[in-house]
Amino acid sequence: MEVLLGITGKDFTLIAASKAAMRGATILKASDDKTRQLNKHTLMAYSGEAGDTVQFADYIQANAQLYSMRNESDLSPSALAHFVRGELATSLRSRNPYNVNLLLGGVDPITHKSSLYWLDYLASLAPVPYAAHGYAQYYCLSILDKHHHPDITLGQGIKLLTLCVDELKRRLPIDFKGMTVKAVTKDGVVDIQFDDDKVVKAA
Amino acid sequence: MVGKDCVAIACDLRLGLQALTVSNNFPKIFQYGDNVFLGLTGLATDVATVSDLFRYKVNMYRLREERQIAPRTFANLVSSSLYERRFGPWFVSPVVAGLDPKTGQPFICGFDSIGCIDFAKDFIVSGTATEQLFGMCESLWEPNLGPDQLFETISQSLLNAVDRDALSGWGAHVYIIEKDKVTKRLLKGRQD
Amino acid sequence: MSRRYDSRTTIFSPDGRLYQVEYALEAISHAGTAIGILAKDGIVLAAERKVTSKLLEQDTSAEKLYILNDNMICAVAGMTADANILINYARQAAQRYLLTYNEDIPCEQLVRRLCDLKQGYTQHGGLRPFGVSFIYAGWDPQRQFQLYLSNPSGNYGGWKATSSGANHASAQSLLKQDYKEDCTLEEACGMAVKVLSKTMDSTKLGSEKIEFATVGQTKDGKIYHRLWSADEIDALLKKHDLAKDETKEE
Repeated sequence: MEVLLGITGKDFTLIAASKAAMRGATILKASDDKTRQLNKHTLMAYSGEAGDTVQFADYIQANAQLYSMRNESDLSPSALAHFVRGELATSLRSRNPYNVNLLLGGVDPITHKSSLYWLDYLASLAPVPYAAHGYAQYYCLSILDKHHHPDITLGQGIKLLTLCVDELKRRLPIDFKGMTVKAVTKDGVVDIQFDDDKVVKAA
Repeated sequence: MVGKDCVAIACDLRLGLQALTVSNNFPKIFQYGDNVFLGLTGLATDVATVSDLFRYKVNMYRLREERQIAPRTFANLVSSSLYERRFGPWFVSPVVAGLDPKTGQPFICGFDSIGCIDFAKDFIVSGTATEQLFGMCESLWEPNLGPDQLFETISQSLLNAVDRDALSGWGAHVYIIEKDKVTKRLLKGRQD
Repeated sequence: MSRRYDSRTTIFSPDGRLYQVEYALEAISHAGTAIGILAKDGIVLAAERKVTSKLLEQDTSAEKLYILNDNMICAVAGMTADANILINYARQAAQRYLLTYNEDIPCEQLVRRLCDLKQGYTQHGGLRPFGVSFIYAGWDPQRQFQLYLSNPSGNYGGWKATSSGANHASAQSLLKQDYKEDCTLEEACGMAVKVLSKTMDSTKLGSEKIEFATVGQTKDGKIYHRLWSADEIDALLKKHDLAKDETKEE
């Protein structure tokens, strides 16, 4: 029951991931950060099989940073998304594929356009205005379909995210221990304070 | 779909995981030259992998030969590339459409996932709405359609076929390929 | 003295030189001249075709100018056979980058990939260096129009105007004299033929003796590159009074 959410707006991309680290029916940690910063303008959130996720995310992060060092310039979010897709696609047809789902969001360092990419463990890639992974898709996509607009501000984006998280708290049968929320703008990645203690009662 | 001195190719725009729609902007038609087009249906990841792979191969062909690839040549490239993976195939069923650069004759063909070519004089269909598309094309298509009539025929066939299929739809791209003109049109379709 | 050292590319001579590399540079300075000029709205590459004969098939394919990918072309000075190997390598590297990142390779990265390969041949034993210099013209979103020059040692640098091959020293000083910052592509084309006409052995120029290519930007912002046809070259030469049938200059 891991939750990944992503929302793009006028000049930012919001990425949120649930804080619970689970193993079977047990919550091992309530302050897990399922995101990795790949370079100044790109952030990736991951969910999936326990060991695979961190292993794969670290591998991608290392490659992104290596590229930045070698070439004295960062890869754009689009280039990174396609690179990650390539790695996942190769892994998919190997003997032990990674079972990782990803959201990759960022702001292009040259055009300053915000973007969000949805990737699943089959290495399907889709550029999207907003996205979710796992069960969250069934609850949040409809909310986002109704309320999202490409020109929203960061404030409106966070409001929209709150709407989604409230619905998840209302409907998901397991507590996911709140969300880590980060925003990517042209100035880099910033942590967003997000109220996790709010209790939402089911109807 | 073949017309008189023109050819058309069209696709829907949905990307989904069974019943859940993930994206409604996922084109499945790719251009590999002035008038060579490839449509790919099947597993989304393989659609992306295979289309990128052919871009690599066709670009190298063009640089090496200093000319554009012809549809028939491209079709054979597709066939042999798919058969390379005979025992672990890409899960795609491609469609090639184009005009022969020398004669200007329309050329279309389809493939199974391991590269067996299916040449056709009228139309080729592929994807989840195959049955519906066959029905629509059989009843609407006729020989020697002009570019405008061909556009109408292929659009009506596609839109009405995907409306009867729960797994496809959400808008369409239609390309009409003529001797020295390619027209791309976006059809909104039913967004539900 | 040099006999003991120049049979191996991997070994320095006592005065700190790599003879094979210097010989390669020497070989290039006998080849046809190639020049490149960076303008504010594009780049022009021009090259001299050395082998001309009435019997030679005047086919359309370029001998000294090559397309590397959608946003880069290059001019070759040196051994064409060696160049073919490197160009194929560059094209594959560019397409592999496109496959991995779904973006065109940044110009400097492609230049560096080639230069890394060239450098290898100055160090590994039993191999001779590639006898070619390249002038690259390209565009990428980060640094817009760019012009690079690389040589057999694996060194490269970015230039505003540069030359390679026979008489490159005099071409270089002519370019230094004539180069204007912020010149347009059209002015750069004129400068290119003028410099070529002065550095080439024959003062009579014709489309069969030179090759011409430009990289530029269309009105809607798309990058194009184009190898010029014989007619276009002749028209350009005529415009600058350098065509074959005109009275000789100087």
